[in-house]
Amino acid sequence: MRILSIETSCDETSLAIVAQNEAGFMVEKNLVSSQATIHAQYGGVVPEVAAREHAAWIFPLMQELEIPHDGKRIDAIAVTAGPGLVPALRIGVELGKVLAWSWHKPLVAVNHLEGHLYSVWLETPHPPVFPAVCLLVSGGHTELILMKNHGEYQLLGMTRDDAAGEAFDKVAKLLELPYPGGPMISKIALEGDSTMIDFPRPMFDSPNLDFSFSGLKTAVRLCVEEFQHQGTLDPSVRAGIAASFQQAVVDVLVHKTLKAVQQTHPKSVILSGGVSANRLLRETLREKLSMLHSDITFHSPPLAFTGDNAAMIGVAGLIKAKRKEFVDPLSLHADPNMSLTSL
Amino acid sequence: MMYQTHSEQETKQAAAQFAATLHGGDVVFLRGELGTGKTTFVRGVVEYFGFEGMVRSPTFTLMNRYPINHGSLKTILHVDLYRIENSSELNTLALEEELGHSDTIAFIEWPEKDTQHFVTPTHQIQFSCVGTVHEIQYEKETI
Repeated sequence: MRILSIETSCDETSLAIVAQNEAGFMVEKNLVSSQATIHAQYGGVVPEVAAREHAAWIFPLMQELEIPHDGKRIDAIAVTAGPGLVPALRIGVELGKVLAWSWHKPLVAVNHLEGHLYSVWLETPHPPVFPAVCLLVSGGHTELILMKNHGEYQLLGMTRDDAAGEAFDKVAKLLELPYPGGPMISKIALEGDSTMIDFPRPMFDSPNLDFSFSGLKTAVRLCVEEFQHQGTLDPSVRAGIAASFQQAVVDVLVHKTLKAVQQTHPKSVILSGGVSANRLLRETLREKLSMLHSDITFHSPPLAFTGDNAAMIGVAGLIKAKRKEFVDPLSLHADPNMSLTSL
Repeated sequence: MMYQTHSEQETKQAAAQFAATLHGGDVVFLRGELGTGKTTFVRGVVEYFGFEGMVRSPTFTLMNRYPINHGSLKTILHVDLYRIENSSELNTLALEEELGHSDTIAFIEWPEKDTQHFVTPTHQIQFSCVGTVHEIQYEKETI
């Protein structure tokens, strides 16, 4: 079975073709606006400001996918219906509806967060086994979710203010690091001493599984101001602040995930979303999990599928299509507040 | 008018007092550097209007929408232009569909990114920090 998938919920316009065979979910094509080499519109280079212009991107990407104009050999269409910005979501949703209607193909509506969870099913013969505890961390999300089965989710905890990825980006800004901030923090942290500053671990000991990163951001701001005041904010101090900050975030994320594991006794742990590309987070969670619970498997997506992409929407779409969870192309609407648990 | 607050709780109390003066259709600009309390202030306002869910940073989502039921007020919009690089990108938010309705109050962080003055505020608030003390400065003519 082959599915065409569409993702336009936030910054990235992305289209993919994903097929399911004996080896699992294979990505035939996955085009993302910020990475694509489209000649028609921008001469091969995508200015950052244009990445969010879904309407300008979507047809050049369709052309690049090289799907026959009658949709031949596409069995179904999957589209992110929420959560996200309505004007952004609408572009993808309307394309999905039009194609489904004119090609007479079934249409599947996917929740963006669900897509991130399914990113660990991509290109592997060993997908997670249920129940699975999922830590979803990105610029916009920090959530712990219990995935009991396909399509069955329970929200265990979430951030109360800033997402972890947002904290990375804003701390990068405070340290005057170039874009993209998150990866730059990890890069300079390699040269720094992660014990230089004992930043707070917000909500580390709280009884629930919620997170908070806004106070940590403020603590970094005060620390940076102090070094600036003393005139000693040199590269080694910056590296130390970055390393100490990163350690604080990773400590909290790993601690809460392991706490969720103790409470729910899953068979697998999933780490996904843009921040799952962070090496310290991946390695620490993998190591601690295998040390404490060697029988629980650990899964994180291939690096190419950590950020927003349509391939992950394709996997979720294929699983829903198999279960015949189709929607009517004439009545589907983008849902900016779409919740994972009410699917 | 200027307030000093020393905790998240105090910032939220100041926000609640301010919220009581607002009317449908108001657009409030929130200025101030990272970590000076803008989102905490909006949390105080949204809680004042009886919303019970979580009020989270709209930096990545660009816009969060909180449904409320407070007389004729139905929606609080929390917009963050931090990631907007250029006024033309404002089109991606379709703000014109949302602002100015008599059942909606909008809070806009980083309004300075709107260089073409696409949006006109009814109130402006400046946030700053001296160490751990937060200062909230309301623009005189609007309050």
